[in-house]
Amino acid sequence: MSRYRVVHTSRFDYSAEVRASYNEARMTPAQSRGQNVLECDIVVSPCTSRYEYTDYWGTRVTAFEVLQAHQHLEIVAHALVDLPAAVTASQKAQELTWDHLRDPGLRDRLSAYLTTSPATAVPEEVVHLARECTVGRSPHEAAEIICRALREEMEYVPGVTTVHTPAVDAWAERKGVCQDIAHVTVGALRAVGIPALYVSGYYYPGSPDDTSQATVVGQSHAWVEWWTDRWHPFDPTNRTWVGGEHVVTARGREYSDVPPLKGVFAGGGSSDLTVTVEMTREVP
Amino acid sequence: MAELFEGYRRAAAWDEMFDAAVKPRRTNGPVHRTLSALSAGEVQSRADALARSYLAQGVTFDFAGEERPFPLDVVPRVIDAVEWQTLEAGVSQRVHALEAFLADVYGQQQVVRDGVVPLTLIQSCSEFHREAFGVEPANGVRAHVSGIDLIRDEQGDFRVLEDNVRIPSGVSYVISNRRAMAQTFPELFSTMRIHPVDDYPRRLLQALSAAAPTGAAAEPTVVVLTPGVYNSAYYEHSLLARLMGVELVEGSDLFVASGRVWMRTTEGRRRVDVIYRRVDDEFLDPVHFRAESVLGVPGLLNVARQGNVTIANGVGNGVADDKLVYTYVPDLIRYYLAEEPVLKNVDTWRLQEPEALEEVLDRLDELVVKPVDGSGGKGLVVGPAASRQELGVLRSKLLADPRGWIAQPVVQLSTAPTFVDGKFQPRHIDLRPFAVNDGEKVWVLPGGLTRVALPEGQLVVNSSQGGGSKDTWVLGAGRSGLSRRRPAGSGGPAPAARTAVPIDTNPHDLLNADHSMHQQQQQQQQEGAACVSAARRAAAGGGVDA
Repeated sequence: MSRYRVVHTSRFDYSAEVRASYNEARMTPAQSRGQNVLECDIVVSPCTSRYEYTDYWGTRVTAFEVLQAHQHLEIVAHALVDLPAAVTASQKAQELTWDHLRDPGLRDRLSAYLTTSPATAVPEEVVHLARECTVGRSPHEAAEIICRALREEMEYVPGVTTVHTPAVDAWAERKGVCQDIAHVTVGALRAVGIPALYVSGYYYPGSPDDTSQATVVGQSHAWVEWWTDRWHPFDPTNRTWVGGEHVVTARGREYSDVPPLKGVFAGGGSSDLTVTVEMTREVP
Repeated sequence: MAELFEGYRRAAAWDEMFDAAVKPRRTNGPVHRTLSALSAGEVQSRADALARSYLAQGVTFDFAGEERPFPLDVVPRVIDAVEWQTLEAGVSQRVHALEAFLADVYGQQQVVRDGVVPLTLIQSCSEFHREAFGVEPANGVRAHVSGIDLIRDEQGDFRVLEDNVRIPSGVSYVISNRRAMAQTFPELFSTMRIHPVDDYPRRLLQALSAAAPTGAAAEPTVVVLTPGVYNSAYYEHSLLARLMGVELVEGSDLFVASGRVWMRTTEGRRRVDVIYRRVDDEFLDPVHFRAESVLGVPGLLNVARQGNVTIANGVGNGVADDKLVYTYVPDLIRYYLAEEPVLKNVDTWRLQEPEALEEVLDRLDELVVKPVDGSGGKGLVVGPAASRQELGVLRSKLLADPRGWIAQPVVQLSTAPTFVDGKFQPRHIDLRPFAVNDGEKVWVLPGGLTRVALPEGQLVVNSSQGGGSKDTWVLGAGRSGLSRRRPAGSGGPAPAARTAVPIDTNPHDLLNADHSMHQQQQQQQQEGAACVSAARRAAAGGGVDA
């Protein structure tokens, strides 16, 4: 088991005064699937009022409004989280066949994760590549190979895509960040009939053997989960199974179901966003 | 002077006025006699009077971007008391079932667990707004107003064509039609027992007030939210607000603060309890839906989620309007109400079933094909009237997205005599009754909007497709004098005194100087690649890409 302290700071600097702002933050780590949240809170300044609820996807949402004039807005999400150890695929997952996945009852139950959503639609080329990966493999084996094969095709390059770039565009560029790689991967998995979802969270980039408890810098991260007897998380960007270094905040069909922060504001002109994520490994 | 009806030929369709032997049906006797006694010139002058009344009332509709008067035909459509009872029961039953379905869809989805509808049906519905999950309306009502579109088939049976529980419009035409007809045909109104329609605004206000959040004042503040004067139904929005005696507001007149919705007024802010909104879901709250929308109120949905304001009709109701969901409504009636449907659906092919798709593709030229999310005939293709090229395009659309379409046989909608080119000619019609749910009872406005397809033989009946309308008369049951009769043209309830009016600009108001909102910059999910040590990345099994 590993324990992390996460401090996620988002700061908006506006070129002119903002008169009102309405937002939602999805920055509270999920209390689920073995992940245990020991502490969490979100501090917004300035803030006029706030309200919390759990959305359709089970994500804790902090909605807040700022009705006083401001030129800066800072949201600090802090959490202390215990992560479960890395999971290895069970025998059951290995044995699950394509016939199992074709079962109409199963497909219906998991339809949200089998239906293409706007950002995860992939071109025929990706579908073809994914299909080739399935030949002679079980769904579970194929899923991992698909993740790795698509990753080989895409270069990790920040700045080419934006939050609203759909998988098709990122694929055309063969470039993107973890969000894009996750969208393409999710789309490809669904295209071959493997239920897949998009995960938003944080990734600890330090060495797993590091005991110095030094704070390291990262940013929010995205990866995928696929369903073969249960949900299996995999990080296509880092080409790794998800183990003791990934803190989950939200799961959905795609980015737009789980954005860390979204909202609208009146006035303000242009805005400048600075995001930092600090993670510290602690001894449980 | 019966020659205006001479040569009136019944087609294959059922005719509302004449039976198979071209004898007037009993319920239509008085109307037929009155009209037969008129000369062409007299009918024309009454038609002109109707048009003038319409212009005076300011009733127009938007046709291809142009404001035109909505043509009201001189011949009313008459429905007898017994038949109306069936329609009323059928519409009310339908609304009850759709309410139960919506509560279930945005709740436990028991209907899926019990195998009545597949989860895929809901998940694949473009109008299934997960953002509305967790919004519990105060009195349980989501479809405060419904418009259930009916047609009468060749056998004379009414069937449901589509359900509208998002923002059904057209009731203002019902009210205006009645005023114009009462002025133009006083002799018929004095001899026939016609159910009045001017009760609608009072019923609507009562239902909206009953839907107010707990903790609202005894007389809750209700407003009508309009997209503005450029909306094609603006006339209706303003009419309803006036007749209900409530404020007509635009998004910029409202704002959210501390979990409440407020209206800007000359006397400061005033809390709003119920919003009868005529703004689509997608534009209602830029925090949850289209961020660029200036028609809505930022933060509104979360106020509804907190139970501090009621949005009528509910957000996400479009699931029930989906035309694939429509095919399940008879099952939903049996499931939720343990009743048999009073009104039948039109037979419909579900194109996700491979055999159905194959059959439909084979018979495209003889069927009507509709997109599942278009209301009022939008995107509809009538096979027999379509060109080979149009059918080819349609074929590829169906193959690409079978979930997105349904197919139905061409139903010969019933016809009714309509004054065209100086004489009465059969034209196809439909009927949209309006139902108001106050949480205790579903009340159906007697009559509804009868729409006429003015081009000869046209089967698509819609105001946006060059149609007109007829006043719809529901005859009272029982002896004459039992039903309360009053001149419908005397106007609705007097507007309540306005103590505070909304204003457009107030420099002291927070949001008002510039209402346009910007979307908050979102953070792309990207690992801080530059900060990750190369060693760690290598250990994770990946190359260094940044």
